[in-house]
Amino acid sequence: MLRITGGKIYDPANGIDGHVRDICINDRGKIVDSVDGGRTINASGMIIFPGGVDVHTHVAGGAMNFARAMTPEDHRRTQAFIRTQSRRSGLGGMAPTTFATGYLYAGMGFTTVNEAAVPVLSARHTHEELADIPIVDKATLTLMANNEIMLDQMEAGEYERAKNVVAWYIWAAKSYGVKAVNPGGVAAWKWGSDAKQMTDSIDGYNSLTPGKIVTMLATICDDLGLPHPMHLHCNNLGAPGNISTTLDTLKHLEGHRAHIAHSQYHAYGGDDWDTMCSATAQLAEYFNTHPNITTDAGAVLFGDTVTITADGPWQHLLYKLTGRKWGNLDVENETGCGIVPYTYRPSNLVNAVQWASGLELMLLIKNPWQVFLSTDHPNGGCFWRYPEIIQLLMCADFRNECIAKLPDKIKGRITLPEIDREYTLYEVATSMSAGPARALGLTQKGNLGVGCDADIVIYEEEDDVARMFSHPRYVIKAGEVVIEDGEIRETPEGREFLVKPSYAPETDEFMRPRFEDCYTMSFENYPVEIERIENPNMQECINANED
Amino acid sequence: MTCTLGEVKQRADFIVYWGGNPAECHPRHFTKYTIMQKSKFLPRGRKDRTMVLVDIRETKSAKAADIFMQVKPGKDFELITILRALIKHQHVGDDQIAETGVTREMLDDLVQRMKSCKFGCFFFGMGLSMTRGKHMNSAALLTLAAEMNAFTKFVAMPMRGHGNVTGADVIMRWQTGYPFGITFNRGYPRYNPGEFSTVDVLVRGDCDAAFIIGADPGATMPQPAIDHLKRIPTICLDPHITHTSKLARVHITTAAQGISAPGTAYRMDELPLPLKPALKSPYPTDEDVVRRINKAISEKPFWLPEGSQPQMITAQV
Repeated sequence: MLRITGGKIYDPANGIDGHVRDICINDRGKIVDSVDGGRTINASGMIIFPGGVDVHTHVAGGAMNFARAMTPEDHRRTQAFIRTQSRRSGLGGMAPTTFATGYLYAGMGFTTVNEAAVPVLSARHTHEELADIPIVDKATLTLMANNEIMLDQMEAGEYERAKNVVAWYIWAAKSYGVKAVNPGGVAAWKWGSDAKQMTDSIDGYNSLTPGKIVTMLATICDDLGLPHPMHLHCNNLGAPGNISTTLDTLKHLEGHRAHIAHSQYHAYGGDDWDTMCSATAQLAEYFNTHPNITTDAGAVLFGDTVTITADGPWQHLLYKLTGRKWGNLDVENETGCGIVPYTYRPSNLVNAVQWASGLELMLLIKNPWQVFLSTDHPNGGCFWRYPEIIQLLMCADFRNECIAKLPDKIKGRITLPEIDREYTLYEVATSMSAGPARALGLTQKGNLGVGCDADIVIYEEEDDVARMFSHPRYVIKAGEVVIEDGEIRETPEGREFLVKPSYAPETDEFMRPRFEDCYTMSFENYPVEIERIENPNMQECINANED
Repeated sequence: MTCTLGEVKQRADFIVYWGGNPAECHPRHFTKYTIMQKSKFLPRGRKDRTMVLVDIRETKSAKAADIFMQVKPGKDFELITILRALIKHQHVGDDQIAETGVTREMLDDLVQRMKSCKFGCFFFGMGLSMTRGKHMNSAALLTLAAEMNAFTKFVAMPMRGHGNVTGADVIMRWQTGYPFGITFNRGYPRYNPGEFSTVDVLVRGDCDAAFIIGADPGATMPQPAIDHLKRIPTICLDPHITHTSKLARVHITTAAQGISAPGTAYRMDELPLPLKPALKSPYPTDEDVVRRINKAISEKPFWLPEGSQPQMITAQV
């Protein structure tokens, strides 16, 4: 039992903006009206947020592990965790090890993370890794938009069958929802090509287009009542002028719920790398008039990182651009993935536009319930650098100092210098916790109301915003004090959120021959057994059409 | 750039085995994953695929190949480098080609086939990765595969041996960031193959105890390493009597993975496959033994003095 007194509470889910009141936590890690006895934390002069929720990150699985293998030179120079009685050893950096991932997220006040790209084929591996990430709760999304068994059904116009196939895969992977990456493009990449526009044909298919996949898959996610809508990585990522593709994609989503991942990478104008500019104003305008869609920023921070994405063709282009290491891993029938280490430099005009675009989206989209803090870790920057972004959002003066360091040629390519909006603490709490929790459909997260999970972060109020957000005074996970005075005190295991959407019972028999045709493992061994999930937590599907 | 084996099964119309002998070392490889399979895209199976074997001698795998290319021992790196030049139309001298033992006609034909296939795949074995040049050879072949993607789809994959070596590699990577050759002697993982690899640590006599699971270094390591294993307390977990178990001070007989113990094995393309035991064993599983040892150790005093908190090693960027 725990009581927190005297702190200023920022709880956007309940409209509480800096009021001082007590929070009580019972023995089961839930927030309650009152408790008798137990410890009291005096939080006078401190700020209280709901624990952070990362709506889009890559922390575990085959691709991340491939990235770790590819970057030993970063491991050596990075932060190292020495083993103590309360924590295991590990390494931070661009692609942190599992234990370190949990410590770094919790150390920054984040208590829930969504691993946004899991192939079903290696989901067993992803879950084993997630079990080794302590403290935080986890959810995973299954990569679907290039699954050939599903695409075949879509091409044949068999909507019901496609829906059953998607539901079957979600449960086979023991995941929480659907991720769509470059719909059709990754399937085409299996033959070395791509599908950039909504109306492009897809290698290997006759009538199917990325646009049709986007609309059908969004409909399927809605009809299945998944708590989190389709999580979409649009086609034509990273390319100059791709704003037209992104806006076209959004039109294909009219009337549906959807979450657009890392929209910074999809908001460029210009015709080529020399003329590339920010087109965030157009994209923000769309979000401002369409409350059914949420997004995360996918902001870029200058420095070294490693890019990991299921978007294989884009990574091949990035390899050709940089001439650096390139890893590619295609997964039979389902998806692909590419890995390229990358350094974002302020002196590079393209990188400077990307840096500004991420911040512009966070500032131009008016409703913080629609745009969330993310770097698409590790693609735009490492997650443990989030406090730097918060500082850029909260302090216009600091932002202007940073803009002044960019090359002169940046003028006219970005709108950031004209924006004077500064995030309030209430808006930060929305964007890093309450908003993403709501978008994920996790009602017990990002919320300090009675009955919710007692995931709480307490900061010592100070002027240096970046310092404040990177060094919480206390972090409480499910009622347990895990971080206190900068030390990791407890490392409890987190839970994993799962859904089981319903599908026709004959789907197993429908899948079997198709599966045996293209996979190389036995059908019985393919679905991840529920016993392999440590601390599974079943979430209910919703009836979205009634909302 | 690699893929899972199902991609090869479905798509690869051009397959090169380099420095490996799958007919004898991976006997199910041809039939389950590569040349013999029919698929949606390659309906005629073997007839729709071309297989090339590159090796220093004509092994049994050569019979299965459409083209056998005999490279002179120790000249793999040169041959790969020449191919990298030829695909880009760079000039290569006759004497340079002669050095590899292959003719220019064969190379031109190979390059033409590589470029005109729809999906090419290199499988490379220890004949490439463990002979003169070692990881330089592997790196060269991986680079060739990467560069081939400028013309068509190409991937490369190592042919790995032994039980679950990939599984050990995968787990070490997620827990420590490194696949092997790791030391924890400063309390956090550091990596240096050649210094911290098991064989090097043993040969130098740096460790004062050894704990061996699912491996038989007593049969494969050089004599000085074996001598050191005999000198120090060596504990061995193995279902069988092995060279290592015979020299170990303690041998705990455990249940065999996949036969009487459950678990996960990672295939060479890093796919995790569940192991479902068919039999019961009177012996404990490896996991069970390790957990019990761990529990006993945790009851001993911690390695750091009471109340001390080691400094964090901060980033040096």
